[in-house]
Amino acid sequence: MKVSFPYMGCVTGFKKLFELLGHEVIMPEKPTQRTIDLGVLNSPEFICYPFKIMMGTYIEACEKGAELIVSSGGSGPCRAGIYGDVHKKILHELGYDVEIVIFDSLFENFGAFMNQVFKIKNKTPTLKVMKYAYLVFKMINQMDGIEKELKHLRAYEVNKGDFDKCFDKIKELYDKTYTLKQMKKTYAKALEMLHAVPVNIPPENKRVRIGIVGEIYVIMESSTNMDIEKRLNALGVEVENIQYISDWVKHHIIPRRFSKEESWKMFDKGYQYKSCNCGGHDMENTGAIVHFSQKGYDGVVHLMPFGCLPELITRSIIPQITEDYGIPVLSMSMDEQQGEANIQTRLEAFIDLCKNRSNKQQISPAEAANSKELKKEFAGIM
Amino acid sequence: MKIGIPRALLYYYYYPFFETFFKELGCEVVLSEETNAKIISDGCKVTVSELCVPIKIFNGHVVSLMNKNVDYIFVPRFISIGKEWYCPKFIGLGEIVKYSIDSMKDKMLIVELKNKTDIPDRIEDYMPLAEKLNVTKAQLKNALKKAKISFLKCRKLSLQGYTIPEAYSILKGKEVPPPMQKADLTIGLMGYVNNVYDDFVSMSAVKKLREMGVKVITFDMLDENIIKLDKSKGKQPFWTFARKVYNAANYLINNVEIDGIIHLTAFACGPDSVIGKMMELECGEKDIPFMTIRIDEHTGESHVQTRFEAFTDMLKMRKGAK
Repeated sequence: MKVSFPYMGCVTGFKKLFELLGHEVIMPEKPTQRTIDLGVLNSPEFICYPFKIMMGTYIEACEKGAELIVSSGGSGPCRAGIYGDVHKKILHELGYDVEIVIFDSLFENFGAFMNQVFKIKNKTPTLKVMKYAYLVFKMINQMDGIEKELKHLRAYEVNKGDFDKCFDKIKELYDKTYTLKQMKKTYAKALEMLHAVPVNIPPENKRVRIGIVGEIYVIMESSTNMDIEKRLNALGVEVENIQYISDWVKHHIIPRRFSKEESWKMFDKGYQYKSCNCGGHDMENTGAIVHFSQKGYDGVVHLMPFGCLPELITRSIIPQITEDYGIPVLSMSMDEQQGEANIQTRLEAFIDLCKNRSNKQQISPAEAANSKELKKEFAGIM
Repeated sequence: MKIGIPRALLYYYYYPFFETFFKELGCEVVLSEETNAKIISDGCKVTVSELCVPIKIFNGHVVSLMNKNVDYIFVPRFISIGKEWYCPKFIGLGEIVKYSIDSMKDKMLIVELKNKTDIPDRIEDYMPLAEKLNVTKAQLKNALKKAKISFLKCRKLSLQGYTIPEAYSILKGKEVPPPMQKADLTIGLMGYVNNVYDDFVSMSAVKKLREMGVKVITFDMLDENIIKLDKSKGKQPFWTFARKVYNAANYLINNVEIDGIIHLTAFACGPDSVIGKMMELECGEKDIPFMTIRIDEHTGESHVQTRFEAFTDMLKMRKGAK
């Protein structure tokens, strides 16, 4: 069967999984202006931005002849849980004969989950499926790890564009990897390549670090957030993103009792501001802002699609967190109307403020200790 | 003790319940005034700009209650019914109110409701109130029982075809003309209670339509059994009120002789963005006219009037041609 999936995070891994299962993969393209236009045209007006992009991606995949689309689902209260069904209705309305398989939570309805697995496993023996899943999971894990490091190092690259070229090559390497043995070599080579790129790392007290929190799709997929990580790196700032596919999978598959994931710790830190999760990742995001400020980060960028239900709750809480912990937070909404200049200007202004602030703190520690005024200064940046 | 109840959101569904509940506990209930321009502008000032109008209005009512010298302001946090959720903004309402309005922390009376059915009478949810209001569990239980009776009385009136504000008037002992039985047109007005019945934001939609000789059916006029969660129809919206509205529209399209559906929704409403499209597709299949009216804090009245008139005119012509 010709299989496709939404473009999000580490797509090389998904491609590998379906190839190993014997499907023909229709590789989704990185969302372009055409994807966005197609999505906007065929989606409900006020649905969130990720839905529109995925809609566009699906239509482009269908144009190329996709017969099966695999995506993740949910059971609310975030809208993402109902994406698949609405996508299906709209695609059928448009006349595409395509099947959509939606993976809901593993624990909520195990039977339904296994049914979906059977649908896509293509008569591959179960043991092999497990082996492939492990391989792909490990691959995504490694690639995400490399990407995490890249987002720190890229801030200090000597020749502009070196790291992007390097990462493209790493992706190609992984694309050609099919066994665990090969992967070990690939990983070593990838790390070697990454560390061979010339960098100019300044002393510790001159480094500026920014955390990125927000809705999973817009912070993970660079084409929906106008390459915000690259822009920040270009301003000489290290970036740490809280969401990666590998973390998301670990968070959802490993029960909390056995999990060593940071996401759970962030969850706990969120509880001081709210008593329950409102859907999506709002609890983690609230906790993550606290987490970044405790780790000594210089600022946090909070991204969300326009009208995102859970993140609007986080946004209501942010002024309070800024006041309590004194961390500057820039909150931005993403949608199809966003302009490049707007984002660039706001980021530059924000980074200038963050840098100024850390300089100030270095000049007079007494002032920093008594920083009530500083906190107020930054409570206004929203 | 004076308890302030904001006249917003689920006031339009659960007020008889909470009024009776607090009165039985010996509290005085203070209701905020009806939504007006000042309330909306107060609400907009304190709320994150991207949030929807109903939430801004709720905050506006809370601000207005702050000036009314009440001891507590009641902010119910509706979380779930069975396996269904409320809209995330309802779940996070406590946070939105607490962090948007200064000095709200001590005044907020919050209960977290995770009911099994439509009636929010699970005693465990109300236990945090016992200390604050200085009452016993037995008193709470008794009050909930009485509250349930008032709520069911109101629901009964709704099922007879009265709108919710009419039902509230009847419960207060006022006379209300009986609901329309026969009319030129029958229209399903689909939307949440807080949009449809708040006369300021909906620009008195029900009244306007009735003046044009239209019999209006809303989801609250249908029995819960008709619009209940039915997994056999496939995956349904997992927000309680969205499911009610969506299933009501489905029921009207398939089982009632109906001339058209109007979807009344607030700007940037999340659940509506999904069910609106689904209703539109289904109306298209059954060849039933469908119109979306989107309201926000600055809707002009003539715009709504014109669109209602055009829609009803079209429906009348269509009926004549048949």
